[in-house]
Amino acid sequence: MSPAIVSYVASLLVYLGVNAIACWGLNLQFGVGGVMNFAFILYQAMGAYITAVLTLPSASTQVDEKYILGWHLPWPLPLAGAAVGGAVLALAVGSFALRPRRRDFQATVMLVVSIIAATLVTSEQGWFNGNQGLFGIPQPFAAALSLGVNSYYWFFLAITVGVATLALALIILLTGSPWSRRLRAMRENAEAAESLGVNVRTESLKVYVTGGAIAAVSGGLLVEFIGAWSPAAWGTGETFIFFVAIIVGGLGNNFGAFFGAFLVLGVFLELPAYLPQMSNTNIEESMQSAAIGVLILAFLWWRPQGIFPERKRNLSRAIPAGARAVAVAEAAGPVLDGKKEHSPQREPDSGTAAAGTLSVRDLSRGFGGVQAVDGLSFDLAPGQVTGLIGPNGAGKSTALKLIAGAIAPSSGEVLVDGVNVAGWPAHKVARLGVIRTFQHTSEFGRLTVLENLLTAAPDQPGDTFGGALLGRRHARARQRELLAKAWALLADFQLTAAADSYAGQLSGGQRRLVEIMRALMAQPRILLLDEPMAGVNPTLRLVIEEHLQRLRDGGLTMLMVEHELGSVERVCNSVIVMAQGRVLATGTMAELRRNEEVLSAYLAG
Amino acid sequence: MPISRGNRKRRVPAGGPAGQAALTVTGLAAGYGDTPAIMDVDLTVHRGEIVTVVGPNGAGKSTLLKAVLGVLRPMSGTVRLGDRDLTGLRSDQICRLSVGYVPQVQDTFPRLTVLENIEMGGYTLPRSKMKSRAGEVLDLYPQLRRMAGRQGGHLSGGERKMLAIARAMMISPALLVLDEPTAGLAPQPANELLSRHIAALAGTGVSLLMVEQRAREAMAISQRAYVMAAGRVVLTDRADTLLARPDIGDVFLGRTAG
Amino acid sequence: MSQIVLSLGFGLVTASILALGAVGFTLQFGVTNLFNLAFGENMTVSMFVAYLALVSLHWNMWAAMAAGAVAGAVLSLGISRLVYLPFQRRGTSQFAMVMVTVAVSFILKNVLQMFSGATYYSYQLPPEPPIRFLGMVFDARQLAIIGLAATSLLGMHLLFKYTRLGKAMRATSDNAALARSVGIPTNRVVSAAWVLSGLLAGLAGVALAIDLGSFNSGTGGSYLLLIVAAAVFGSVGEPYGAVLGAVVIGLTSEVAAIYYPQLKDVVAFAILVLVLLLRPDGLRAGRVQMRAEVTV
Repeated sequence: MSPAIVSYVASLLVYLGVNAIACWGLNLQFGVGGVMNFAFILYQAMGAYITAVLTLPSASTQVDEKYILGWHLPWPLPLAGAAVGGAVLALAVGSFALRPRRRDFQATVMLVVSIIAATLVTSEQGWFNGNQGLFGIPQPFAAALSLGVNSYYWFFLAITVGVATLALALIILLTGSPWSRRLRAMRENAEAAESLGVNVRTESLKVYVTGGAIAAVSGGLLVEFIGAWSPAAWGTGETFIFFVAIIVGGLGNNFGAFFGAFLVLGVFLELPAYLPQMSNTNIEESMQSAAIGVLILAFLWWRPQGIFPERKRNLSRAIPAGARAVAVAEAAGPVLDGKKEHSPQREPDSGTAAAGTLSVRDLSRGFGGVQAVDGLSFDLAPGQVTGLIGPNGAGKSTALKLIAGAIAPSSGEVLVDGVNVAGWPAHKVARLGVIRTFQHTSEFGRLTVLENLLTAAPDQPGDTFGGALLGRRHARARQRELLAKAWALLADFQLTAAADSYAGQLSGGQRRLVEIMRALMAQPRILLLDEPMAGVNPTLRLVIEEHLQRLRDGGLTMLMVEHELGSVERVCNSVIVMAQGRVLATGTMAELRRNEEVLSAYLAG
Repeated sequence: MPISRGNRKRRVPAGGPAGQAALTVTGLAAGYGDTPAIMDVDLTVHRGEIVTVVGPNGAGKSTLLKAVLGVLRPMSGTVRLGDRDLTGLRSDQICRLSVGYVPQVQDTFPRLTVLENIEMGGYTLPRSKMKSRAGEVLDLYPQLRRMAGRQGGHLSGGERKMLAIARAMMISPALLVLDEPTAGLAPQPANELLSRHIAALAGTGVSLLMVEQRAREAMAISQRAYVMAAGRVVLTDRADTLLARPDIGDVFLGRTAG
Repeated sequence: MSQIVLSLGFGLVTASILALGAVGFTLQFGVTNLFNLAFGENMTVSMFVAYLALVSLHWNMWAAMAAGAVAGAVLSLGISRLVYLPFQRRGTSQFAMVMVTVAVSFILKNVLQMFSGATYYSYQLPPEPPIRFLGMVFDARQLAIIGLAATSLLGMHLLFKYTRLGKAMRATSDNAALARSVGIPTNRVVSAAWVLSGLLAGLAGVALAIDLGSFNSGTGGSYLLLIVAAAVFGSVGEPYGAVLGAVVIGLTSEVAAIYYPQLKDVVAFAILVLVLLLRPDGLRAGRVQMRAEVTV
C-alpha cells in the first residue's frame, strides 16, 4: 500500500473515533434522556477551542493570532479542560434552555443559542481570532516523538482509541446504571417520573451537562489531530448530521451510535471521494446534503428505531431460578378461589413502614371560573383505606392531584405527617412517600415491566449521576434485592410471564396492574389511587380489590378515588363523599346509603 | 376558496309531524375495543320532548351519547333521526343532519369571543344567514349579548354552558344532545341552567336528549326518563312517575335494580 | 439621538419582514401544532421564484413578489400534503416531526443549491432616492415593504376577526374536536393554514431579499431563527404575540447595531433568552386557557 493510502486510512479511523465519541454523547442526551440538543455542535466546538488555547503557547509569542489563556499544557490536560469547559457551558445553557415544557421548544432555544455563539465567535477578535480561527496547534507528543507523518498518524490513532475507550467505559457505566433507567423513564413519561420522585428538570440538566462534556472531548481530540481551529468548521447544520447518525444507528443503543458514526459520518460522507469526479464540487456537496435529508425521512418512515434499536433488558435472567420459584410458591395464588391463606410475612414491605398520616385543610383550586376544589378539609385514618366518591365534577381527581403536587393549590394546607407540602413540586412530595397512580395508565412504554417497577424504588445506589459513576458492583446488592422484591410482586399479581415485556405492549388491564405494582415499589407511606378500576373488566377488578384489601390489612394508608361503588364498599374502611369541591359526608358505604343528603347529591348533584 | 364547499347543502329536515319520534335507538350496542359498554339499548325521543338519561357513573350514559353522535361506531343496532338512518355516519355528517351537541367538558372555544363562539355554531348555515341567526340566538340569551365581546375562556362555568347551548341552537337543531350540562356547576347556576335555560328549549320545537347527574332536577323538567345501570336500560317511564319510585336511590348507590 | 431615530427606521423595516414571517410561522403552528423548521427554505424558494420572474421574464418587482408568494403557498401546501400529513397520520412523535421538517429543509436548501451554486443573487433593482421622515431615512422600496407588511397584517387581522374562514381557523386552533363537532371541515382549514403560512413566507422571503440586496440558497434558513425568536417571544401559536415579538426584536436589534454592528442578532436572541428565563413558555402564554383539568 502506498503511504498516502495508509495515512488516509489512519485518518479515517481517527475521525471515526472522534465521531463515535460525539455520537455516544448525543445518544446519552437524546437517545437515553430524551433531551433534544440542537446546540450539539456548539459543545464540540467549545471543546475544540479550549483544547486549542490550552495547548497553544501564550498568544504574545504569536505574530498574527489573538486568543486567551495560551497555557501550553501537556497532554492530556487540554482534553480534561475541554470536558470541564463543555460541562460549564452546558450548565449555563441548560439552565434556561431546558425551562420550556415542550421538548421541541427546548430544541429551538438551543438552536438559537448555537447560532448566537457562532455569531459571537466570528465577531470576537480578542478571544477567538475572528473568522481566521486558530492554527499551528501543536499535536500531542509530535515534537518529542519526531515520527514521520504516517507513523504519527498511527500513533494518534492509538491515542484516539485510548480516549474513545475511556469515553465508552464512562458511557457504559452510565447507561447500565439505575440512573439511566430513571432517565429513560423520564423520556417516556415525564409526569409519571415526577410522581415517583424524579426531578425531571435537574436530571435533564445532568444528562445535558454530561453529554456536553463528552462532546467537548471529541472536539478537543479532533483539534489535536488537525492542528487548527476554525469557526467555519462547526456550522449549525453539523448538529443534524450527528442526529442523523444516531437515528440511523439506533437511538438509545451505544453500538447503534457507533455504527451510525461509521455509516453516516464515515461511509456516507466519504463516499463522494470514490464517485466519478463531477465538474462542480458544489453540486456534489449539495447532493450529499439533500441525500441526508432523504435518509432522515426514509428512516423515520420505515425504521424509526434505527438499524440497531434500543436493547431490551431482560432483567428476569438476573434473578436466580430458585428465588423465582420461591416467589411464585409464596405468592397469593389464584385470587379467584378466594380461599388461599396468605402467609403474614408476605405482605409487601410498604406495610412495614409506619402508616403515614394525611390531613387536608381548606384546600382550594379553581380553573377559569370553575372552583374545582373549594375549601376541602379531611383527615385520613392512618393505616386505613379511605374512599373518595361523589358525582362527576365534584373535584375528586383535582383533590388527588393537589395532594400529590401535580397542580398547586391556590390556598389551603396539605399536611403529610404534620409537614405542610402544599405547593411543593410533585417529585418532592413523592419522596415523602406520597405516591399517586394515574387515571389514564402512565406506564413507561419502552421500559420492560420489571424496569417499570425498579424505576420506582427509592434509595437505589446508582440512581443518581454520582452513584452511577461508582459502577454496577456498588449498586448490585440493592438491585438484586429490588429485583427479588419486584419478582415477588409480579408473582402476587400473576404477571411474571410479562416481566420482560415492554409495558407499552401490555393490555389495558395489565397496564393498570403495572401501575399499581410500580406505586407499591415506591414504598408508599400514603398511596393515592385515581380510579384504579377505570377500564378494568370485572374479573380483573376482583383481583385488584383483593390486592387492595391485603394492602389495607397490612396497614397502608390509602386514599382511593373510584366510581365503582361496589369496589369502594369492599375495599374501603370509610368513605368521604365530595360534592361541589368540598366534603359532603363521611361514613361507611352502608351509612352513606341511608344518608338523605348523599342520596340527593347523587340524584341532584 | 375550498373552505366554503358544502355550505349550499340544504339541511335535511329531521323528524316528522309533531308527536312522532325524532330519535329512535333500537338494540344499540357500543363500546371500546371488543367489549361493549352498552347493550340492547332501546330509546325514543319524540318531537319537542325532553328525555333524560340518568344512572350511576360507569352505567354507559356517555357511551350511549357517543354512539348516537357518531363518535363511536355502534357494534349493533340502529340509530334513526326521523326517517333517516344515522347508524355509522361520522360526527360531522350527523351535525349537518341537524343534530346539535353540547359536550360535557371543553365545550367552548376559549380564545374566541362569545359572539364568535355562537357564529361558529352556524358554520354549516349559508354564509349570509350566519350573522342574522346569531342575532336571533343572542336575543334568546340577553345575558350572553351583554358579554358578546368577552373570550369564551373567561366565562364562568354556568355562562360557558349557556354559551355552548346557544351555539348548538344556531342550526335550530331537530335534536339537541346535552352531556351532563351541570357537571362542575354550583347548585345555584346548575339549577338556573336546568330550570330556566334548558326547560325553555322545550317550547322551541327542539327535541332534547340529556344525560344528567342531577337526576331529580333534570327529571323535573323532562317528559320521560331512562335509568341506565351496567350498560343497560333498567327502568324507563314518565319522569314524574319514575322520580316517585322508592327504589330509585338503590340504582345510584350500588344496588343494581332490574 | 438622531442615530437612534435613524436606526429605528431600519428597525421598522426589519420588524416588518420579521412580522410577516413570524405570523406565517406561528399561524401554521397554532393550527397544526407542528414546529416547522423548513419555513426558512420556503422563504428562499420564493426569493428564487421572484428572481426568475424578474430577471428571466422581466416582470415588474411587485408582480415578481406576487409570483414568489404564490410559489410559497403552493410549496407549503404541497409539502404538508405529501410529507407532513402522512407522517402525522402514522402517529409520528412530536420530536420526530421536528426532524422531518429539518430533513425537508435540508432537501429544499440543497436542491436549490444544486441549481444556484454558492453564489449570491441580486434583484439588481435601481437605487431609489432617500425619503426623510421624522428623522428616519428610507428608500421607496423600504417604505413599500413596511406598507406591505402593514397591509398583510391588517389583512390577517381582518381575516381572523371578520371572516368565516379566519374564525374557523382560530376555532380549529383552540379545539379541533369541538370544531369538527360544529361542522367545521378541519382538514380544509388546516390546508388553508398551510397556504396562508406559505404565502406569508413568500412575501417575507422576497421582502428580505430586497432589503438585504442579495441572497443565496441559505438566506431563508439562517433568517428563520430570528423569525422563530419573534414567534417564541410572543408565545408560539399567538399571531398578535408574534407581531409584538417581531417589533421588539426588529427595533432592538437595529438600535443595538449602532453600538455593536456585529452583534445585532445576538442582542435579539439575548432578549429571547431573558424572556424564556422569566416566562418559560413565552410572553403571552396562558393568558386565556381552559385546561383539561376542568374535567376534574
